[in-house]
Amino acid sequence: MLDKPASALRLRERLIESERLMEETGCYDGITELHLRNQDPLKFETLHTKLRAYCVSAREMARRISASPGVREVGEMVVAIYTPEGDAIALSNGIMVHVHTMSRFIKWMIKNNYEENPQIREGDIFANNDAFIGTVQVPDVMDVVPIFHEGTLVGWAGAVCHELEAGGITPGGDVCLAQERFTEGLFVCAEKIGENDEIRRDYVIRCERNLRMPIYWVLDEKAKVASCIDMRESVKQLISEIGLDYWMKVSKEFIEEGRRAQLARTRQLTVPGIYRGHTFYGHVTAGKPGFQLLGDPDWLYNIPIEMEITTDGKITMDFEGTQPWGYHSMNCTPAGMDGGMFVTLTQHMNFEGLVNDGAWMATELKLPHGTWTNPDNEMVATATSWALLLPAYGVFQRLLSRGFVARGFVEEAFVGQVNSPMIEMGGESQYGTPFGMAHFECAAAGSGALAIADGLDTAYVGWNPESDMGNIEVWEQSMPMVYIGRSIVPNSGGAGKYRGGCSFVSTWLINKTSHLRLHTSEHSSRVFDNGGMCGGYPAPTCQKHRAVRNSNIHELAAKGEPLAHAPGIDPHVSDYEKNIGGDHVLVEGPYITLPHKSGDIFSHSYNGGGGYGDALERDPIKSAWDVENGYLTREAATQVFGIVLKDDADGYPLADIDATVERRAAMRKQRLAKAIPVSDWIDAERSRVEKADFAPEVKKMYASAIKLSSRFTKDFSEFWTVDAKSIFMPGAKP
Amino acid sequence: MTSYSKEVLGDLAAGKLPWPQTRRIMSAYKDDDRFFKMVAVYQDRVAWKDPILLPVSDHLFICQSGDERITRCECGHSFGDYRKNWKLKAAIIVRNTEEALREIYPNSDIPDPQWMEIREFICPECGTMHEVEAAAPGYPIVHDFEPDLEGFYREWLGKPL
Ligand SMILES: [Zn+2]
Repeated sequence: MLDKPASALRLRERLIESERLMEETGCYDGITELHLRNQDPLKFETLHTKLRAYCVSAREMARRISASPGVREVGEMVVAIYTPEGDAIALSNGIMVHVHTMSRFIKWMIKNNYEENPQIREGDIFANNDAFIGTVQVPDVMDVVPIFHEGTLVGWAGAVCHELEAGGITPGGDVCLAQERFTEGLFVCAEKIGENDEIRRDYVIRCERNLRMPIYWVLDEKAKVASCIDMRESVKQLISEIGLDYWMKVSKEFIEEGRRAQLARTRQLTVPGIYRGHTFYGHVTAGKPGFQLLGDPDWLYNIPIEMEITTDGKITMDFEGTQPWGYHSMNCTPAGMDGGMFVTLTQHMNFEGLVNDGAWMATELKLPHGTWTNPDNEMVATATSWALLLPAYGVFQRLLSRGFVARGFVEEAFVGQVNSPMIEMGGESQYGTPFGMAHFECAAAGSGALAIADGLDTAYVGWNPESDMGNIEVWEQSMPMVYIGRSIVPNSGGAGKYRGGCSFVSTWLINKTSHLRLHTSEHSSRVFDNGGMCGGYPAPTCQKHRAVRNSNIHELAAKGEPLAHAPGIDPHVSDYEKNIGGDHVLVEGPYITLPHKSGDIFSHSYNGGGGYGDALERDPIKSAWDVENGYLTREAATQVFGIVLKDDADGYPLADIDATVERRAAMRKQRLAKAIPVSDWIDAERSRVEKADFAPEVKKMYASAIKLSSRFTKDFSEFWTVDAKSIFMPGAKP
Repeated sequence: MTSYSKEVLGDLAAGKLPWPQTRRIMSAYKDDDRFFKMVAVYQDRVAWKDPILLPVSDHLFICQSGDERITRCECGHSFGDYRKNWKLKAAIIVRNTEEALREIYPNSDIPDPQWMEIREFICPECGTMHEVEAAAPGYPIVHDFEPDLEGFYREWLGKPL
C-alpha cells in the first residue's frame, strides 16, 4: 500500500501548489519572509552547514566504495539533499552540474504519479540516466532515495556518478557514434531499482548483461546508495533533534535565502544591461566509418548568447539564433542546459551564500524549441552534449565577466571554460578480457585567463570545479595502453596580457592487446570553440589526432634510440614522424577508425583556455619563464607577444626588455598600417555576403539559423543591409 | 565592512598585488565601495579629464564628455556615443588565410579559414587591441555590451548620473 505523506496534500498536488506560490509571490514556495532566519540566524546558518557536511562526508565515503577510477581518482560524483518537491537544499562538492538535473528527475517522478505506481515508499531506490527526464548524458546515472520521518515523506537524498561505460554503440560513456537515442547504451528511465535499501538483483543482472564493464556501474550504484542512506539517516537524526515542523520550514527558507542571495550577488557584482557573445563548434564526420548518413555529416554550429541582467538582479540567458538538433550525439536537453547554468552560478556568483537550487530560481534560460538546446524530438542522442554545452557556458562566463570588470571586481573576471575532449576505448584488455572505459584525464583542461593573472594550467573544467587528471599509474591499471608521454602543450593557452591556462597532451603505446577500439569526442574541428576577452586571443582548440600504426618503437627502445613523447611544435611534421617509424596517421574530427593493436602509438590533446587583454602588454619576464618551462614557444613569444629573448650564460631564455619595448612599438605601428576602418571592411564584405560566397557548411548554418529565428534573420539583415532570407533561402516565402 | 585602499585596488587591477593578498581579496566578502574607488583608479590612469562613468573593457571606458556620453580609449580616442557599438568605429585586421592565422598560431592546428576567421578590433589611434572575435565568415560583428547606465546609477548605486 502507498504511504501517503502526512500532509493533506499529495506530493503531486504539493508540487503544483509550490510552483503556483512561486508564480504568485515571486518567492520560493510563497516564502515572503525568512522568519526562522530572522528569529535565530546562528541556528539557521549552523543547520545549513550541518547539511552541507552530511553531503560532503557522504560523498567522500562513497568514493571509497566505488571501483571506477572516474569516481575514485577524479571525483566524478556529487550528492545532494532535496525537499519533498525535489528542490536542492544542500549539496557536496564534485560534479555540481547534476544537482539541478536530479531535481528535475525527482519532479518528473512526482508529476508522473509515481506515488500511485510504482509507489514511493521508505527504503525505495530510484535511478535515472534519461536526459529528457533529468540528467545531461547517458553515463550520468543518478540514484535517489526518499527520506521518511514517521511515515511522512520529508525529503530526498540523491547521488550521481559519471559512469565510465554505458554500453552504447561505441565503448565508454560519451558515446560519440550515437546518432539516435537507441544507440546510446543502457537507459534506466526513472526506474525503481531497489526496495528496503537493497538494489534489486534483476536490475544488477540487466546491468551486467548490457554493459562492457559492469563492475564500474554496479559498484558505483552501491556507492551512491550508500551515500544516500548515509545522508538520509543524518537528516532523520537531525529532524529528531529540531522537530519535523522546523525542518519542513527551514529547508524551504534555505532555498528562498539562496534565491535572494543570488539576486543580491548579481546586483553587487555586475552591471545591468544586455551582454552578447558567441562561439562556434565544427563537427566533421564525412567518410568516417560507422556514421549513418541520417543528416549532413559535416556541420558548423553557431552558439550565440544574449544575456540580460535587469535591475532587480535577474539573469536571463537566451540562445535564440543557434542551430537545430541533429543526428549526432551533441544535442542537449533543457535539464542539461539547466545543469550548466547551475554549476556556473555556484562557481562564479553564489560562493558566499547558501548554495542550493535557490540560485537557479533567480535566473531564466530561453531555449528555443527545435534547437540543440531544446530538441523537439525525444529520440535524439545527447551522449556528448558537453561538446556544445561547455563552449556555450564558456560564453556565459565571459559575459558575466564583462559585468565583473565593469563593476570593478576585476579579480572575479574569467575568460571561461573550454571543451575537454574525451577519449574512450574498448575491446580486449591487457588481461585478455573484454572491457570498455572512458578515460577521464580530460577532467583537467586549461582554464581561461583571469583579468589579473594567467589561467590555470591543466587544472580546470567547467563541470567539476574540483578538477583532477588522475594518476598515470591508476589509468594504466585499467587499459591496455602505457603512457610514453604526458606533457604541457606549448601555446595551448590563448595569447593575451594574461594567457589562458595551458592544456596537456598524452601519448600512449598500445600494449598487450590485439584489439583496441579508440574513440574521441567533444573535439571541435576546423573552428576554435572558445574565445578570448578584452583583446586576448582564443585558445587553439581544433586539434587533430596523431597516431602511428605498426610502429618500430620496440626496436628503437632495444637500441636505446630516442623516442617521441609528444607531437612537438611543428604542426606540419610531428615528432612521431621525425623519430618513430611506422604508418603515420593524421585524423580530423572524431577519432573513429579501425581497431588498434600492441605496438601502435596514439596521442590525444586537451584544450587550453582563452587569453585576456592585449598580448603586447604581456609581462616579458613571465613569457621568458613560459618559454623556459615549455608553455610557450620562442616563435610565439616573438611574433605574437612581441618579446625579444636572449639566452643567459646557461642557455636559458631571458627577456631583453629594451629590445622588447622597441619591437612592440614597431608591432603597434604595423597593426595600424595593416588595419582598415571597420566601415570599409563591412562595405567590402557585403558583396561576399550578397553572393553567399561561403563554404557549404557556413551557408547551411546561416540558412538553419534564419529558418529557426526571426531575430537572427533581422539582426543579420540589418547588420549587412541585405535580405538574409533571399540570400540563404532562395525560393522561400518572404 | 570590507574595504580596500585605492592603492591596493590599483595594484589589483594592474595585476601587481602579491598572489596571497589577491587570494584573500577573492575569498573575502566583497567591498561595497569598490565601484567608485576603481573608477578613481582608472581616472588617475588616463590622461584625459572626462569623468569615467563605466569601464567596459581593459582600456575602454564610457565617460561623460560635455553633454555626450561616449566610449573612449585609454589613449583618448573617442568611439562615439556609448549606446552604439564601438567596434564599428574601430580599425580591423581580419585573419582569413592560413598564412595570417599561422602568424598568431605558429605551432598549433589552425582553423579552416573557410569556416572561421579571426577579427582583431584595434584603436585607430594607439593600436591597442581592444577585442578579438573568432567567427564564421559573414557573421555580423557582435555588440558585446549595452549597459543600462541610467538604471545602474539610479537603482544600484543610488546616485544620479
Ligand atoms: Zn587608443
